Amino acid sequence: MTLTPHKSRTADNKAPRAAPGTDRGRERRRKGVTERNRPLWLLTPGGLLMVLVIVLPALIGIFISLIDLDQYTLRDWLSAPFIGLDNYIEALTASPLLYSVWLSVSYSLIATIVTIPLGVAAAVVTQNKFRGRGLVRSIFLIPYVLPSFVVASVWRTMFQPDGVINTTLAQVGIDGGLWLNGPQSYATLVLVQIWASWPFIYLLALSGLQAVDHEVHEASAIDGALWWNKLRYVIFPYLKGPLSLAFLLSILHHINNFTLPFVLFGVPAPADVAVLPFLTYVTSFQSFRFGLSAAMAFVSLVLVAIPLFIYLRAVKLDTTDDPGGKK
Amino acid sequence: MSAPLDLTPAASKDSVIRPRRNGNSRNTEVTRLLPRSLLISVTAFLCAIVLIPMLYIVLASLNTDVGVANGELIPSTFTAENYSKIWTTVRLGNGLANSLLVAGTTAVVCATLSVSTAYVLVRFTFKGRLGILRGLLAMQSIPGTLMVLPVFVLFSSAATYLGVTIIGTHWGLFLTYLTFALPFSTWVMVTYLRGLPKELEEAARIDGASSMGILFRIIIPLSWPGIVVSGIFAFLLGWNDVLFASVITRPDTQTAAVALQIFGAATEGGAVPPYGQMMAAALVCAAPVVILYLIFQRYLVGGLTAGGVK
Repeated sequence: MTLTPHKSRTADNKAPRAAPGTDRGRERRRKGVTERNRPLWLLTPGGLLMVLVIVLPALIGIFISLIDLDQYTLRDWLSAPFIGLDNYIEALTASPLLYSVWLSVSYSLIATIVTIPLGVAAAVVTQNKFRGRGLVRSIFLIPYVLPSFVVASVWRTMFQPDGVINTTLAQVGIDGGLWLNGPQSYATLVLVQIWASWPFIYLLALSGLQAVDHEVHEASAIDGALWWNKLRYVIFPYLKGPLSLAFLLSILHHINNFTLPFVLFGVPAPADVAVLPFLTYVTSFQSFRFGLSAAMAFVSLVLVAIPLFIYLRAVKLDTTDDPGGKK
Repeated sequence: MSAPLDLTPAASKDSVIRPRRNGNSRNTEVTRLLPRSLLISVTAFLCAIVLIPMLYIVLASLNTDVGVANGELIPSTFTAENYSKIWTTVRLGNGLANSLLVAGTTAVVCATLSVSTAYVLVRFTFKGRLGILRGLLAMQSIPGTLMVLPVFVLFSSAATYLGVTIIGTHWGLFLTYLTFALPFSTWVMVTYLRGLPKELEEAARIDGASSMGILFRIIIPLSWPGIVVSGIFAFLLGWNDVLFASVITRPDTQTAAVALQIFGAATEGGAVPPYGQMMAAALVCAAPVVILYLIFQRYLVGGLTAGGVK
């Protein structure tokens, strides 16, 4: 599961080093080029931005999570009362946080698990050339291309109590009920998320399919493999890597997705779709419990950290074998 | 294959070099994965899932507000009025202009910064390099909701303690988007630069070029496709953001994403919200993004899978 399976030129540089009897002098010179004249100052603008907009706010965030900050103390937040871990205790025991964690995790998992077969199916049908394949591929990418806030606004309109979905359902004798409020809103969130995110799986599955060599197809054709056996035993193993990556990234993306629930349901959030980012936002900018909200945000960071950690372990960071470079 | 961002250049390059023994039709037969009937039905099903809502948006944008609110699929009266009314109901033009300005500047600056950062990360070794590479990936997953409150507090404090107004200006959004776009854009450039041959740079160095000379005369001219992709991603991040835009803007600096929400919220109590106009405005907000994708589709798809982030 690597992001860059290029056979790049940098990797070729390994060859003379690995060969027995390498000219030691040459090796030293090559090392020198990458270590002399380093324009490291080019990293400073990015570094400064990271410090200003990520590191500094992160520290402020930790501080806020330890104080009792509301709309009255916000202007003078440095002198707000320090209350230690009270916010964290309240977040974990007396707030809907744990329910939100459950909502976030279950919704992310359901949406991801449903989108995988859709994405794989889309990749499999567009693998072979046919007339109009370019058009079909562009159509498949539409949900992906549309901005999230556009997707959510449109579905919000369609899911109105008297909206087009309910009138259409009524014509076949089904009472659609309320989609944007009450328990059914959870289903709405999952459905819209699935609609919006399966093309991402499709893209990654497609890249996996393209790695299947022509010989593999020939071999299975000579063996006379039936199509489902070929898919199951020959093709799908190639997709394991790209799909595990897609799975992780989807989960990360869904857990962090704020725009979709926010625009789809608006504030105040229905309790059944108050996923973590939504709850954190509402606690800050609706209830003005800033300290509590910051504590919630850090608790939710733990949740993101799990898939993120697996992802970082799996990604190959580097293609060159630098001295001291750990793979 | 001129797309170094493609995930599988190794496999595809091989198949280009190797002469094909069979005709094209034979190849298709061998690589066929599904029987024809199944292929057609799956394709039709997936296209329908996408196209039916899309068709509805177009129809609804040509419908009256009441017609959309009553759930008409086919408008009883077709009208293009929505497209002229959206500019006055909500300050959508102002929003679009702000979005273009902020996202556009972010894109240009971000592309510039990411190519120079990636150059240092790919071509030089130094302590902490792998840490930075790992950080680039990790930072793509920082939840925006974690950062929005502290960023808001920090920017408001700049006004209190330093006398610099950031909240409500374009600067606030620009700085935020730039920072959040930079890790992904840099990662895209890192994967791109790794695919560039080193020989040209080595030759230039022998001829006495400095590191900066190499960056400006060799790296940047050779990596336009990568630079465009990383710029577009920065643009999309700014264009698509709702979270920061709804917290650190004023009506004057509102982006299109925030303006679109106003259609739904404006007349929430009582009167029917202008749903028809909202659909028209949604299409207008989506248009720049769709156009960008259509122009750069080839590069973007490779870039997406390389960076692996939505």
